[in-house]
Amino acid sequence: MRSLDIGATGMLAQQTNVDVIANNIANLSTTGFKKQRAAFQDLLYQNIDRPGSTSSDSGTTVPSGLQLGLGVRAGGVYRDNSQGAVQRTDNDLDVAILGRGFFQITLPDGSEAYTRDGTFQVNENGEIVTVEGFSVEPSITIPDDAISIDINAEGEVIVGIQGQTATQNLGQFDMADFINPAGLEAIGGNLFVETDASGGVITGVAGQEQFGRLEQGALEQSNVDVVAEITELIAAQRAYEMNSNIISTSDEMLQTVTQLR
Amino acid sequence: MENAIYIALSKQTALTDSMQIIANNVANANTTGYRAQNILFEEFISDPRFSDDDLSFVNDFGQYQNSTQGGLTQTDNDLNVALSGPGFLSIQLQDGRTAYTRDGNFQLAGDGTLLNQSGLPVLGSGGPIIIPDSSTEINIDQNGNISDQDGTIAQLQIFEFANIEELEPFGENAYITDGATTPAENTIVSQGFLEESNVNAIAETTRMITVLREFQATHGFIEQENERLLGAIRTLTET
Repeated sequence: MRSLDIGATGMLAQQTNVDVIANNIANLSTTGFKKQRAAFQDLLYQNIDRPGSTSSDSGTTVPSGLQLGLGVRAGGVYRDNSQGAVQRTDNDLDVAILGRGFFQITLPDGSEAYTRDGTFQVNENGEIVTVEGFSVEPSITIPDDAISIDINAEGEVIVGIQGQTATQNLGQFDMADFINPAGLEAIGGNLFVETDASGGVITGVAGQEQFGRLEQGALEQSNVDVVAEITELIAAQRAYEMNSNIISTSDEMLQTVTQLR
Repeated sequence: MENAIYIALSKQTALTDSMQIIANNVANANTTGYRAQNILFEEFISDPRFSDDDLSFVNDFGQYQNSTQGGLTQTDNDLNVALSGPGFLSIQLQDGRTAYTRDGNFQLAGDGTLLNQSGLPVLGSGGPIIIPDSSTEINIDQNGNISDQDGTIAQLQIFEFANIEELEPFGENAYITDGATTPAENTIVSQGFLEESNVNAIAETTRMITVLREFQATHGFIEQENERLLGAIRTLTET
């Protein structure tokens, strides 16, 4: 009874689907989170009769062979990189990206990571860092006597200094982009790293070429649509039940067989 | 004399295959671009020697795919396309052959090559399609022309088939065929959509129940036939 195993592949695939949906819902309020989606593929086919095989001496052929499929597998999990809603926070060091692009972050081991989560803070040295304390490229240090911080649409950090009328430009955020952002590898902590599939990093500044503008005092929310996720969850659950029905029906058929004497 | 049991057995074997096809359809109820399959039975006439009557067995002869359009789901991913109409997208297998698929869930390789879910290149009219690094937006029109902000890049190669049943399922949502292909005329490409599988859950469940009950009925028949034979043997040996 291969239908027992096929039902099992279906249940496994739906289990993956539910896992992905659960992760999306769990990250509903994660800043800069991009929802994911599981994609499925049919498995190999067992050729019993190949289509086009000869059915007689005179050369007639079978128009549609007999090929029995062997089930399904989760082919991959894809990230949907559409823009999340932008929420105002009025915190000077919260920055949202409107459009394409990522902030460049230097990890403690010196390697580069990328994020769309612009929840920045200042560390004990006055340096702009992420929530986890990793430095944002390029390193920008806010002086102790700064009374105002402005980040413009191009990512320039401009501070007003106590007792000075002229403002001071401290630098401009580096932005990164990839030809295939869906191919980036998520390493947790809202961070991504480059892979072969994402392509090499394209650097630039916000508001130019393909890069989106920056918005100070705002954060990009996750792009998870809770209604869509719940609908997907219901569909996944029903598909799971259908597959378990296949298994119990196959079991009943087998039971019939074992009653044969 | 025990032909009746063999005939019933042929029915049960056919029903087991039928169950496998239903199981595969249900397992693939969420597979992009999957086409539900149905099994075909035929009568298999056997003419045993020393017998006046022909015997008629069941043979599971072939299967056909249901070519109804699956529903379209919006994904808003620029690299997703769905086809409306009879056409199939073409992809290149590792051994160089062309395979056909309704699954337009594409992605980009590091060098900008357009790949399908399994990492195989998607074919345009001039071979694999490469999206330049400079592209910031990708548009695909209803004829499958891919363009970015600087103009047209390539056209998706979409084929139609005179007989869709000649397509042989290959796995990974693809089909292969030796049959003739014609460039698509009646197929419309929609960007940002994917075609769902056309498996009808209600129909599959109904078929599953039918298969189960027929299997059990045939089993009942075999048992009765067995008892009839036993009875005959007992009666004959008593005298």
